[in-house]
Amino acid sequence: MKVEFTKPQLALRTELREYFDQLMTPELRQECAAAVGEGGGPLWREALRRLGRDGWIGLGWPVEQGGRGLTPIEQFIFVEEIMRAGYPFPFLTTESVGPQLAEHGNEWQRDELVPRILAGDLLVSIGYSEPGAGTDLAALKTTATREGDEWVINGQKMWTSLAHFCDYTWLAVRTDPNAAKKHKGISIFLVPNSDPGWSATPVHTLGGVRTNATYYDNIRLSEKHLVGELNQGWKLITGQLNRERLSLVNVGPTSQLFNEVTRWAQQSTCDRDGTTLIEQPWVRMNLAKVRTGLEALKLLCYKQAWAMTEGSLDMADASAAKVYGSEYFIEAYRLLGEVIGQASTINSLSAKDSVLNGRIESLFRTASIITFGGGTNEIQRDIIAAAGLWMPRAAR
Amino acid sequence: MEFGFNEAQNEVRELSRKMLTELVTAENLSRFDEYSEERFDRDLWAQLATAGLLGVAIDEKWGGMGFGFTELALLLEEAGRTIAPAPLLSCLVSSALPLQEFGSQALCERLLPGVASGELILTAALMEPGNENPAAPSTRAEPTGDADYRLFGSVTCVPFATQADYVLVAAQTTGGVIVCLVGKESDACICSPLRVSTYEPQYRMDMDGVFVPADRILAGPSEGARVMQWIAQRTIAATCAHQTGVVDQSMRMTASYTSERQQFGVPVATFQAVGHRAANCFIDVECLRLTTYQAVSLLSSDSEASIEVAIAKIWAGDVGHRVSYASQHMHGGMGIDRDYPLWRYCLWARQNELMLGSSSSMLAELGERIAAGEAFCA
Repeated sequence: MKVEFTKPQLALRTELREYFDQLMTPELRQECAAAVGEGGGPLWREALRRLGRDGWIGLGWPVEQGGRGLTPIEQFIFVEEIMRAGYPFPFLTTESVGPQLAEHGNEWQRDELVPRILAGDLLVSIGYSEPGAGTDLAALKTTATREGDEWVINGQKMWTSLAHFCDYTWLAVRTDPNAAKKHKGISIFLVPNSDPGWSATPVHTLGGVRTNATYYDNIRLSEKHLVGELNQGWKLITGQLNRERLSLVNVGPTSQLFNEVTRWAQQSTCDRDGTTLIEQPWVRMNLAKVRTGLEALKLLCYKQAWAMTEGSLDMADASAAKVYGSEYFIEAYRLLGEVIGQASTINSLSAKDSVLNGRIESLFRTASIITFGGGTNEIQRDIIAAAGLWMPRAAR
Repeated sequence: MEFGFNEAQNEVRELSRKMLTELVTAENLSRFDEYSEERFDRDLWAQLATAGLLGVAIDEKWGGMGFGFTELALLLEEAGRTIAPAPLLSCLVSSALPLQEFGSQALCERLLPGVASGELILTAALMEPGNENPAAPSTRAEPTGDADYRLFGSVTCVPFATQADYVLVAAQTTGGVIVCLVGKESDACICSPLRVSTYEPQYRMDMDGVFVPADRILAGPSEGARVMQWIAQRTIAATCAHQTGVVDQSMRMTASYTSERQQFGVPVATFQAVGHRAANCFIDVECLRLTTYQAVSLLSSDSEASIEVAIAKIWAGDVGHRVSYASQHMHGGMGIDRDYPLWRYCLWARQNELMLGSSSSMLAELGERIAAGEAFCA
């Protein structure tokens, strides 16, 4: 047991920080801010390709899959640093869909699509939820039916985030309506978002982030678009979600925010008695609580990165990290927002008086997404009770 | 970044778990309830000694296994899982470790082999009435003779003080704090038994001129405060490891009980309200375990770990409290029934919660470090 980074890992972190300092030009920051932390703009795309060219995207992937052969721990350091730097990294594509395709994809997917993902040239959105299928995902109704050599896709998806600038949608569809259990009749297809039968309408959210409703109208696809085996999509979905959950609760941005709020409080005067804000016991208490919670989250994440290097990612641990992290963020933004006070409601578009570029104002509005996104926390707690504590589950 | 155990760590862990779960039964523990017997299972102690576990972190030249603090902490975690009635923390962590680290060759040679063989018991006084900072005692040490001292003052909540052969005590003197071993030979030291929740033998010691010869000084005035901090950090980290065992076992007992217990024709574990509260315990226990392992790992390599130790203790307090009450609640009346083993775990969760700094006091300490710019995230 050695709960510390090795020297090369620390050196990698330093190297990445310097690299991202250069990558994140003021122009790129401005473009990302305008896209509410989503990316998708031309400078953002250019930066993603540069990351690909410089070999960063597949840092922890095996060499035979086009990566650099380091471990998931180095991969995790990379994601932590890039998110800390404030670059909206398309981790759904690179951290969850990409590895799934590299592992389970057919020749076309492995040889043509995966290299483009690693080059920062190809983006994939995820189409799971539907108007009538959210937490009960296996109830989904979008279909793929075989007509001759082709598959014909019809249906509607909800919350297809980033789809408006992605190249493909990783789409869960029903391929066997008569399967004995409904999750046994589901397959995954890669649907080109450029298809004339594909369309999206924006859904605007509390956080200012755009997501989409997406529509699939008689999209005709060849067999190569099927991922993995027919009717075996459920495993791909759970595998993808396990990886996604890890990316959702990254500690990079919150570490950075904690440091910045602390520095801000060290320099700000308290209106009550003219001392600095950091002298106030309640400010120290809030910061100490954030720091204490953050340490646990950091270790939950690192343990999972380590478990992935051992090939022993535990389902209960992955769910525990997701539940803890998503609920911690909400509490942390509240505690840090209290330190800043009412000024934490002034957003970054204000010419004056916003604090730390209005980051808390924006985070407060976006934080709720991940308690239900990526598999709602109720289901995660069911998983923890069953897989972590061997408690029987209720019949559903 | 390595969260797995090496071979030695696995062996220590498995051996400890096997021995302690076999030897410490609920029936066995009931002997000590309400102080009906001294809560110190000397047979267990002898068997742990024979297995080499008392010397797990004692150097081979003093008759130990020669492993480090990580292995010792794993033993403490297993002691927590079984709430073993033995002075593992006070003897092996709070006093034998600093003796080995700071004591003279002669003193180590005289005492450590006895600790490893189980024949000699040490303990440490880390608290005074109204003072929980072990590095700033108000007990006084007055120089006498060439290099000897006499101690005046009171310490309290000293575990196993009358069972121990020597008590490690810190005292203020000209130029700083000294750390020494107080023997039992003196009339000038009066031990009064306390009655505490866990039934652990604890004592208040009133010292009125207790003589301490020069050869039992572990640290002189220029080093004593630092040595006491060293001891406090390791005692806290080991307490967190003990707490990890305590709450892990409470939680698992609760998971089993609710899986068996039927109401409305189904196991109560199948109700989401129950399953989710248990899941919250699982998350809590994992947070405690990981912050504890981090602190233990850093201390094992003698790295600076004061922030990490404080954070682990905050989790130990909070998680102890939450899992203890959640476990009782989910057991219904069984949780408080003294014929069922859970209740004793609740007592230990409480003792560990409040020992050497509650969550709130540790948060305040961490807050000070944050304000001073000493606790930024890396």
